[in-house]
Amino acid sequence: MADNNAPAPASPNPAPAPAAAAKPTLPTVDDLMKEATNNQLWKSMFRNWPWQDTARHRARHIVDNLWLHLHPTKVRPRALEITFTWGLGGLSFLLYLILTVTGVLLMFYYRPTVELAYQDMKDLEFAVSFGIFLRNCHRWAAHGMVTIVILHMIRVFLTGSYKKPREFNWGVGVILLTLTLFLSFTGYLLPWDQLAIWAVTVGTNMAGATPLLGNEGPFANLLGMTISNDVRFVLLGGTTVGANTLLRFYVMHCVLVPLVTGALIMLHFWRVRKDSFSAAPRDPNEDKLDVWPHLVVREYLMAAACIAFFFFVSVAFDAPLEELANPNVTPNPSKAPWYFLGLQELLVYFDPWIAGVLLPGLIIKGLCAIPYLDTNPKGVGYYTWKERPFANAIFMFGIAMWFILIFIGVYCRGPNYFWYWPWENWLVHKPPPGATWSFPVWAGLLSLGGYGVLGMALPKVFSGDIDWKKANWGYGVFFLVLAAAMKLYGGIEAWRIVVVGILGWMTFVFGFLYPQKHLKELDFTRYSVTQSLNLTMMAVLIKMGLRLGLDIKYVLTLPQFNLNV
Amino acid sequence: MFYLFNFLVLATFAWAVVRDDDREWKTYQKGFRRLEIERVTDALSKAKTDGEKESLTLQLKAAKRSGTAIKQAMAPALNRYDRCVTCHQGFDPLTNPTLVNGYKEHPYKAPEVAAHKQHNLVKFACTSCHMGQGLATTVEAAHGEVAHWEEPMLTGPYIQATCVRCHANFMTLAGAERARHGRELVKKLGCVGCHSFNGVGGEISVDLGDIADKPTSRIDWSHTGDGPPDAHGVSALPHHKRSIKNWIELHFTKDTLTLVPGDPEGHQCAPGQKCEPVPPSGMPPFYKELSKEDAADITTYLMGQTDNKVPSNYFVYAAPEPEPKFASGVKHGEHVFQKYGCAGCHGEGGKQGRRNFNAKANEQTKMEEGVEPTLVKVIGGYSRDELREKIQKGVPASAVAKFNEHGPVPPLYMPKWGEKIKGEELEHLLDFLFSIAEKQEAW
Repeated sequence: MADNNAPAPASPNPAPAPAAAAKPTLPTVDDLMKEATNNQLWKSMFRNWPWQDTARHRARHIVDNLWLHLHPTKVRPRALEITFTWGLGGLSFLLYLILTVTGVLLMFYYRPTVELAYQDMKDLEFAVSFGIFLRNCHRWAAHGMVTIVILHMIRVFLTGSYKKPREFNWGVGVILLTLTLFLSFTGYLLPWDQLAIWAVTVGTNMAGATPLLGNEGPFANLLGMTISNDVRFVLLGGTTVGANTLLRFYVMHCVLVPLVTGALIMLHFWRVRKDSFSAAPRDPNEDKLDVWPHLVVREYLMAAACIAFFFFVSVAFDAPLEELANPNVTPNPSKAPWYFLGLQELLVYFDPWIAGVLLPGLIIKGLCAIPYLDTNPKGVGYYTWKERPFANAIFMFGIAMWFILIFIGVYCRGPNYFWYWPWENWLVHKPPPGATWSFPVWAGLLSLGGYGVLGMALPKVFSGDIDWKKANWGYGVFFLVLAAAMKLYGGIEAWRIVVVGILGWMTFVFGFLYPQKHLKELDFTRYSVTQSLNLTMMAVLIKMGLRLGLDIKYVLTLPQFNLNV
Repeated sequence: MFYLFNFLVLATFAWAVVRDDDREWKTYQKGFRRLEIERVTDALSKAKTDGEKESLTLQLKAAKRSGTAIKQAMAPALNRYDRCVTCHQGFDPLTNPTLVNGYKEHPYKAPEVAAHKQHNLVKFACTSCHMGQGLATTVEAAHGEVAHWEEPMLTGPYIQATCVRCHANFMTLAGAERARHGRELVKKLGCVGCHSFNGVGGEISVDLGDIADKPTSRIDWSHTGDGPPDAHGVSALPHHKRSIKNWIELHFTKDTLTLVPGDPEGHQCAPGQKCEPVPPSGMPPFYKELSKEDAADITTYLMGQTDNKVPSNYFVYAAPEPEPKFASGVKHGEHVFQKYGCAGCHGEGGKQGRRNFNAKANEQTKMEEGVEPTLVKVIGGYSRDELREKIQKGVPASAVAKFNEHGPVPPLYMPKWGEKIKGEELEHLLDFLFSIAEKQEAW
């Protein structure tokens, strides 16, 4: 406080000598600045004025500023490298801010009722000043935020930044990711066009398949769930997407979820600060650098580039708007928003409660569990594949699967959810796919049980080092024999055999070779959790291979328990 | 970098501002103002009396002062909020109170139209008759021929479709002649033999009572294009042309076998499975019988068939049609023949059976050549009792003889008329049918 009232130190630039005092001159910019700042009003607003380029002042810039004080005053040089963070965390927050600002402005023009919502979209496009620009900005920034938050998670994973002591903050981040998806999803309904209501119908129908709590989920009758009292009903405020749903989603989108997200963002930042930033020193004796100006300038530039990008996109491309919502006309195909299309694609292979509830639940829980399962102390604060081959390989494998599923859902699914290549015309009528078949129950139980038991046991049983080259050759020979058998006895087409072969090989590498090499030292609990999550992920892949390659509908089907996998 | 990025933000924002400011409708408002100033200035120079001059000077001032703004006509009772008058300022009551001007140029012209006088803008707005996208303010979107807009503007004769929606008396209404002709064609061609209108009529095909409301997403556009089909047999209208109006009209301008080809050979089969062949559309090839104008007229009448009810005070009722009187039983029978749409399959006056895909006919080489019975030729083979029974019991689709046993079930069949045609109507119909039968040589 004392500093605040201290007399202003002399200006570092001495005033120009009064050589030309004879005739009056115009005041220089410096003079004007001095005039404007050397008074009580200015000094009451800006602490520590006048600004001097000293270490102390650079630090005070950060700690004395409400907006900047979440930064430390100094950071490691690596943290400043764009190729370390890619600015992704900051951009996520920036997009949250852009979405808040554009969202609040849009709220002035939007009425969340079935009669008016769509009309307001048209007004935004045709009559409101900057209406379509605001809507475009909001839409594209929302897609951008989903993408960037996912990329941010990948970055944090690859730099090992979730490891001790940052386990908790990683969990907060995972929850923020799901909240981001939910924010985007609730906003998807608001334009009230065909795209909106059917995407939300698809998305919320999955909630109806929740075990115990959804009327179509397994064991629904234990809690007396019907279509008009289950979790989907709570979400929709009715049995179908209607006026109540619009209002509910509006309130969730504009008030409830942003508040919760904002609160968690604060927690997230605070923990980043308290747990310290993860970037590892390049040199043990290096000096940290001042956040002001080094980091602040970089953040500013990233923000400016991002804003410019979204402004550009918003002027150049209009957000989609289809026909007025009509609950009686189902588009063919109906698709969820793109970030959920991976899960929708899983509906082809699994029962809804598995594809829409169990697997996403496992993904979220699995992500949260990662910091507690990974005991490898190496690789914190820098990118390394060599020091953490298993963690990186499995994680990136999962991410790749997530995006490949989304790609299939977005680009390869046409009318009737039949397979259409991206270049194929949806107006071409396709014959329905061939008949599918399921294993008998005994074979299903046997193969599923065998997969589980062997998958869990084998990496532990083979305790020695396996020569991967030999193992792969072994798989190759095994596959050739299998392929010959399939060709000769099954008369199966070559491409199907190749699909089965590739997916089988992936399962062999990621489900057995990697765990065998890297997991066997883990304690029992960590090993069983990690390997069972890993095997579940591989099982999804195997099932896709069996379905797409061999037309197998279900490996195990027990309809009385709604269990079809 | 700092300056570059700041510049980029500013530049993109400036671009957004320019784009926001640069709206199509402003050009037209400026154009209209220019025309108005020219006209009033011209009139002022020719004005003689002081009073005239004073009034014109005021008009000139008003024209010069008029700002640029989006204008709209509102008819809340019809849920219409139309911004058409933003560009078509000649029809804006505030800009041009008479709603008539002498300009020749589109979109400024506002010629005198009788229908406009009878339909007050305040009560009807624009799109209740013209259709199109009233809320839009760009040329393309407002006229509505854009993807995801279901009601593009109706132009030319087609606008008479909206007369039909409110005027139950459109058959006698001046200005609705094309729609009336459409209605007459519907009667003459026997559409009601297969189609019903709000439940009245045949059961073979869809009800047309709300055909104008059919969502375009329910339509298979694969064979609607003008161009030759691609490698997969697909040729579709471009997206902005996919309106229900065009879909209806295609049924009268294109062979329905190409429009809705079905799957007569049973190709659309899952691998390794047997599947039923699907017949093409059963609709006879009316494009051979109808002129372009006829097709437009039927389309116009059908586009008037909607479920979107107008408030009762907007509805114009019609006097009931007088009961027709007939000179003879045969004449009455002819009326019955038309009333139930027998002509739809058997041709006008039963003179030429229309196409029925894969039905067995004489001298046939392919499934396309299947036809319905030509009554004038076959009636002679029936006794009166046999014919009565045939009409009453009909011939179910499964009993129609096929040309190709492995082909699809022929789409058209003789419905059971027992509940509908009976008593005097039936007897007179029989009289009529025997009267047209070609005499069979006795042998």
